[in-house]
Amino acid sequence: MSGVKMNNVIKQYGEIQVIHGIDLQIKDGEFCVFVGPSGCGKSTLLRMVAGLEETTSGQMTIGTRDVTTMDPSERGVAMVFQTYALYPHMTVKENMGFGLKMNGHPKSAIEAKVAEASGILKLDEYLDRKPAALSGGQRQRVSIGRAIVRGPEVFLFDEPLSNLDAELRVEMRVEIARLHKEIGATMIYVTHDQVEAMTLADKIVVLRLGRIEQVGSPLDLYRDPDNKFVAGFIGSPAMNFLDATSGEDGVTIQALKMTAPNPIGKTSKAVTAGLRPEHLEIDPAGDALRVDLVETLGGVSFAYLVSDTGEKIVIEERGDEPVSEGQRVGLKFDAKRLYLFDAETEQRLRA
Amino acid sequence: MASRSRLSQAQAAWLLLTPFLATYALFLVYPFFRGVWISLHDWNLLAVAFNPDAKEFVGTRNYERVMWGKDITWSLFNAPILQTLGLVGLVLSVFLRRMNRLSRFNAIALGIVSVLLVFLPGFHPGEGGRWYDRRFWPTVGNTLVFVAFAVPGVTISALLLAAALNRETRAMGALRTLFFLSQVLSVTVVTLIWQIMFSPRQGLIANITETLGGTPINWLTDQQFAMAAIVIATVWWSLGIAMILFLAGLQDISKDIYEAAALDNARGWKAFWFITLPNLTRTISVVVILQIILHFQVFGQAHLMTQGGPNDSTQVLVRYIYQTGFRDSELGRASAMAVFLFLIMGSFSIIQFVIGREKG
Repeated sequence: MSGVKMNNVIKQYGEIQVIHGIDLQIKDGEFCVFVGPSGCGKSTLLRMVAGLEETTSGQMTIGTRDVTTMDPSERGVAMVFQTYALYPHMTVKENMGFGLKMNGHPKSAIEAKVAEASGILKLDEYLDRKPAALSGGQRQRVSIGRAIVRGPEVFLFDEPLSNLDAELRVEMRVEIARLHKEIGATMIYVTHDQVEAMTLADKIVVLRLGRIEQVGSPLDLYRDPDNKFVAGFIGSPAMNFLDATSGEDGVTIQALKMTAPNPIGKTSKAVTAGLRPEHLEIDPAGDALRVDLVETLGGVSFAYLVSDTGEKIVIEERGDEPVSEGQRVGLKFDAKRLYLFDAETEQRLRA
Repeated sequence: MASRSRLSQAQAAWLLLTPFLATYALFLVYPFFRGVWISLHDWNLLAVAFNPDAKEFVGTRNYERVMWGKDITWSLFNAPILQTLGLVGLVLSVFLRRMNRLSRFNAIALGIVSVLLVFLPGFHPGEGGRWYDRRFWPTVGNTLVFVAFAVPGVTISALLLAAALNRETRAMGALRTLFFLSQVLSVTVVTLIWQIMFSPRQGLIANITETLGGTPINWLTDQQFAMAAIVIATVWWSLGIAMILFLAGLQDISKDIYEAAALDNARGWKAFWFITLPNLTRTISVVVILQIILHFQVFGQAHLMTQGGPNDSTQVLVRYIYQTGFRDSELGRASAMAVFLFLIMGSFSIIQFVIGREKG
């Protein structure tokens, strides 16, 4: 087992550059999630680790080996695809053993490894079926089993849960987390779903337009985002962004008709104030906002508010008596929970 | 209320089907049964044309005249190679089935073919006996040889071409069109091209052999090479459709699978063998059966390139039927042979139907 290191890795398709010099270190045994909106290059970067896409320039290292120009099969990686990519003409057993067979392992060794993997994934009763006779969740388990059997140094997952329904997705997510604990191998996981990213990752890499926006543990990214993009991407529902001005006396948020203590202690003119829905509370005394819509999910409700400036704000309520639509309310929050971003560069403004 | 006569769905369907059914009945079903009927008569083409009563019902005598002989006996070692092959096949089919290495369907298919191989070549004229028609069975044999070479030839070369051309570049698109182009030529043009190609004086092949220091082969008049020449021309001519079918089959195989295979250390030939071929079995069986049915009807190539010669070595069934019917005016006997050909092709159609159902 070994980590993965990228050194100024670049990918170009002809004239078009899609990955712009990525530097990244993934430690041995770490569960690393690449996350970002579609088109951010997360899948491309994963495929470059796999060797399915050539690296235009830069260096890719797995363990101590420079794999930049190696063939996919020599890199010691196994991949789980979104579409499962099982061989339709082979049984589950043959699918899982195919990699070892191609590398010339003896039959008995292959059988043992397949049996071991099918035990871990509870696939024993399906071993002689073909993929067509399996459900989506079972297929993805076979696909994971195929990866396990090869005993790779690095597991690669390319949006493995996107083709499953919501319930199965949760189930498989838990299973993948369990698998990582059990096997302890390095795993790189690509997803656009920030819930998957938050729940699975030791380390999240947020990508946008082929560049890394921020790297850190899930809580780091949640608590201490470097910029507006990461702040908005991590957390659900997304952080509210409001126009504000920061002055000597504090941060004035026009939409809320209030001035909060300035957390950064500096002055600058136009800023963007970021407030997470779960950190906002209704202030019945205020009247800055109108309640537009309330979604009640049982334990929690989401209220969609509109300010007089036309800005929209979402808040999460845990009380038993949610606000009602049409009501006018104010908001309050803990000053520590206020994030400020430069309105132009969108970078976080820190004390 | 105005009463308007309206057609039920079934009536409308029949109405729309009528043109097709009428044409089909008139030009296919009726001629077929008429052919079977003619085959039961002593029917001279010219005589009957002038006098419709000049035919005579003879029952199955035409079939006997064509396929049977005087003092025909059966023995196990008349055609040792074929019959041994059949016996080996028979043993294999039982053995492999017992070992569970062969599906029931394949075991039965292999078994039937083996039985036929043991049984059919065993017939021969006994002492003092003879075939009534000495040319018929050799002609059937030539046709079988032609099919046995042309079908794998077309299938394998079309498969390799399709695999090589299955890429989305402009050059590949142009090459695909180019290879398909031969398919649209008529048989006269194809045979003309290949007669020139094979010509020992100015032909391209002769030129190449000469440059390499060899003596040019007289392809079309050499008994050893005439059939090969016809097979080569046929493969070139009928590549196109098979290639298109294979390309369609190839596009059905998802790219992800090849990527998974690349990670599993199966690229190039390994990927072709372990991934492409198994996923194409259905297409391959369709192509093979279509080609078998098509090539049993070979006529133009043999008729125009070699006139069945030299020494009857390229005489094929349809050409023999044509000669018997229209040169010798023996319409009854020709029809009997045509019915025989129909049975062969019909059985392959049934096999295709069964395979389609088996896997579908």
